[in-house]
Amino acid sequence: MKTTRWLCIGLLLMESAMVHARSVEMEVNGLVCAFCAQGIQKAIRKIPATQDVFVDLDHRIVAVQLKDGQDIPDEQLRAAVTDAGYATVRIGRSDETLDALRARIKAEPARD
Amino acid sequence: MKHHTKRWRCARLAALCCALAAGAADAKPIAYANGWSLMAEYGAGTMAEGQLFYAPTHWLSLGGGLVELEDEHDRFDRRIAYARANVLLKRWNLPGAQGNLFAWGGAGRATGRDFDGATAVANAGFQADYETRRVYASLRSDLQHSRHFSHRIDTLQLGWAPYAHDYESIASWLVLQLRDYTGGLYSGVEPALLVRLFKGPAWVEAGATSDGHLQAMVMFNF
Repeated sequence: MKTTRWLCIGLLLMESAMVHARSVEMEVNGLVCAFCAQGIQKAIRKIPATQDVFVDLDHRIVAVQLKDGQDIPDEQLRAAVTDAGYATVRIGRSDETLDALRARIKAEPARD
Repeated sequence: MKHHTKRWRCARLAALCCALAAGAADAKPIAYANGWSLMAEYGAGTMAEGQLFYAPTHWLSLGGGLVELEDEHDRFDRRIAYARANVLLKRWNLPGAQGNLFAWGGAGRATGRDFDGATAVANAGFQADYETRRVYASLRSDLQHSRHFSHRIDTLQLGWAPYAHDYESIASWLVLQLRDYTGGLYSGVEPALLVRLFKGPAWVEAGATSDGHLQAMVMFNF
């Protein structure tokens, strides 16, 4: 029983090490003007691990598609958003592609 | 003389607009860290201004501009070139809104028809604004002061958007602008109704004052 439990824990650890998030989703406050929010996209695109960026004012979301096998530390993401003049509320990671994430967010009712 | 001055002003504005169109500011004086803002404004024959600023951080921008002021009775005019620093004093990033408080200060040189040579000018001002995706309000005050003149331009803008724009759509706003000029430039408050459109890094607004003069502005962040 004990051996099986350790085996399961080991497998879970191996799996988490092998699986990388494909996208990062950030909730951002102050996101009300597309003209002003250009700086977010510009700053995040400069990060080498960024594949693509999606900004959604309806849901106050900034999402980042990560390059294969790469990630961006939360501090670096927060700094990019702060440099653009905004405030990060929450950061989450998922295995969704940016297209899937965009479709899911767009299907949700706007937050305003 | 006035005709010549207006032609010169139009030529300079046209050059600025061409620079914009070739790819070269939000109503905010600071864009974002490592970003440039280019702006040109034509204010109903009383003022015209062009500015270029670079922001090393999101709370500071450095740059300069040219402003031309002409009184409504054609008694005097001012041509002021200045260098300026804009500082974001406070920003409120709220879930569905943003508020800002900016201040700026600078110095420059001015020439005018009613005094000889060039004179040193000090410049200072502030802007307070609040916006959601459907309403916008800003109050801006800009002072140009020298030993020959002192002019302050106070501008109140109240905006309403018929729909909430998203990041990749065109934003449309109707803006009521009330502007007050001091130092004998214009008597009373000058109202104007503007249509504002922006998409991506480009911003255009145009309209007319209550006496039918063009009021327009273009901006580009890059």
